[in-house]
Amino acid sequence: MKLKGEIDIYTAAEFKKQLNTAIDEGRGDLHLDCSELQYMDSTGLGVLIGALKRMKEQDRNIYLANLKPNVRKLFSITGLDKIFILEV
Amino acid sequence: MSLVDSVQNEAVRNDCEDQVVLVLPNKPEYVSVARLAASGIASRMGFDVETVEDIKLALAEACTNAIKHGCCEEYNEYTIEFGIGQKCLTISIADRGCGIDKKKICQPDLQNPREGGLGIFIINTLMDQVDFETAPDAGFTITMKKYLGV
Repeated sequence: MKLKGEIDIYTAAEFKKQLNTAIDEGRGDLHLDCSELQYMDSTGLGVLIGALKRMKEQDRNIYLANLKPNVRKLFSITGLDKIFILEV
Repeated sequence: MSLVDSVQNEAVRNDCEDQVVLVLPNKPEYVSVARLAASGIASRMGFDVETVEDIKLALAEACTNAIKHGCCEEYNEYTIEFGIGQKCLTISIADRGCGIDKKKICQPDLQNPREGGLGIFIINTLMDQVDFETAPDAGFTITMKKYLGV
């Protein structure tokens, strides 16, 4: 799944919907390509945390790849880089 | 005293040279407008790219807070005031909500991560100085500062 643009309070609900569809329809781990994700804030993190909880219940995981520096920083300052698997 | 008067007085107390005031409806689609304004102002002041991103994020978290907790049917807007000084950007976000309990602001619990409650923690982490003010009948104001060259 490829994330594009900005995830904030306006777009978080749509992001949640699409992420849940990907979880329901997919099998195994979920790989999110963030190379075109320009911005995310705590509303996006909240959606991801909810999704990770669902995935962990099914013994699945979420991988995030190609994060831009500003998005990576959001994970590091909140400590969530230790919970999600961030790839280069 | 109106909400706008209140935040403007705050800017005067901080000796800011210029002020920019935005009054936004409590609609999520306008938070990007606040981010764009923050980006333009912080860039013009000379903050580096990473710090501009930090300021945008901190402001967006405060706006999200104002929309989620600070607005009601009677007061369906919130005010952002940028105080632009030589070496400091002061941003005040004022809403009509009852504010937050400072004691509840804590480090995220990584053993049991929650889906909400990260906003104020992020603001505190990214900005140089953050103050919260709850005034009876006047609402809640977050004032955050970022210093140039720190």
